[in-house]
Amino acid sequence: MDLPGIVQLIHDSALSEWLRSSLKAMPIVEAIHVMTAATVFGTILVVDLRLLGWPSTQRSFSRLHGELMRWTWGAFVISVITGVLLFVVNSVTYYGNTAFRLKMLALLFAGVNMFVFERVTGRDAAAWDKGPTPSSARVAGALSLTIWVSVLFIARWIGFTKGYDFSIPDNVNLDLNFGQ
Amino acid sequence: MFLDLAKALGGSSLSIWVQSHLWVTPLLQSVHIVMIGVVFVAILMITLRVLGKVGADETFATVWNRFSPWMWGGIGVMALTGLVLGIGEPVREASALSFWLKMSLIAIGIVSALAFGRTLRPLAYVGDAQFSGGAKFVAAGTVVLWLFIIFLGRAIAYDVEVWGSLHLG
Repeated sequence: MDLPGIVQLIHDSALSEWLRSSLKAMPIVEAIHVMTAATVFGTILVVDLRLLGWPSTQRSFSRLHGELMRWTWGAFVISVITGVLLFVVNSVTYYGNTAFRLKMLALLFAGVNMFVFERVTGRDAAAWDKGPTPSSARVAGALSLTIWVSVLFIARWIGFTKGYDFSIPDNVNLDLNFGQ
Repeated sequence: MFLDLAKALGGSSLSIWVQSHLWVTPLLQSVHIVMIGVVFVAILMITLRVLGKVGADETFATVWNRFSPWMWGGIGVMALTGLVLGIGEPVREASALSFWLKMSLIAIGIVSALAFGRTLRPLAYVGDAQFSGGAKFVAAGTVVLWLFIIFLGRAIAYDVEVWGSLHLG
């Protein structure tokens, strides 16, 4: 079966139908997704700013990294689970949505950046644990920050490119293609 | 009364401008969500320090001084973006019970953060200060409070589904 066929199968599943028909499930799933995404972004922001040396480099990087990453990963796992549920609800629409695809691509970039940092750039972290970070680590931090802010922006854009959830005033002519 | 005010606001030139410029609402909502991450994690870090789960090698004052400017700055940006978003959709906001509950909890969150900082900060200059059970309970409660605020923010779009007949519209 090809990918569009699988996406249609997901859309037609009992779980998808139940989520669509449930009044309470979607707001709860969406809210948990926002909470965990905020936690992932916020904890990564703290680590990225330490890599960038802003506001300082006095805090032990290894300690900070160790303390925060468990929260990042814990929140990320819940965010993925709730994200999958959101996809299941409306899989055909999401699959064809450019903003959704860009978000997945940005998440892939974030993962590659983190992998490279953990395996290459950050291997000598003990040498700069309580001091200024090397330029390679600063680049990794700046990249991470840029990618994660992009993920949040693109994620919010998905909701506006698959239809509006508020009433449009009579005297306003909305351009549904964003001027294209 | 609030609904009448909201209807009048919805017809204002600023409201029409927000509604008719399609990039404004998604852009402001995106900034709003980035700030949720900043504020929530700043509060989480301060709370985890009170609970002794992070930064135990630093004084509470150090952790408070590091994260509280992010918390207040983030709250300020959220207030500004939230205000413009509210002007763009005033009737939707005013008729949502979730919106009013969210505003009430934000007020409680801000007052408790002010009281929290004022009460605990002087104590924390004494090395690795141990916090009382009550302080830990209040700190953990603050995180739960902000989780409710995030939930209510998302629930505005689903007010009828979440609250049923309690929806104010």
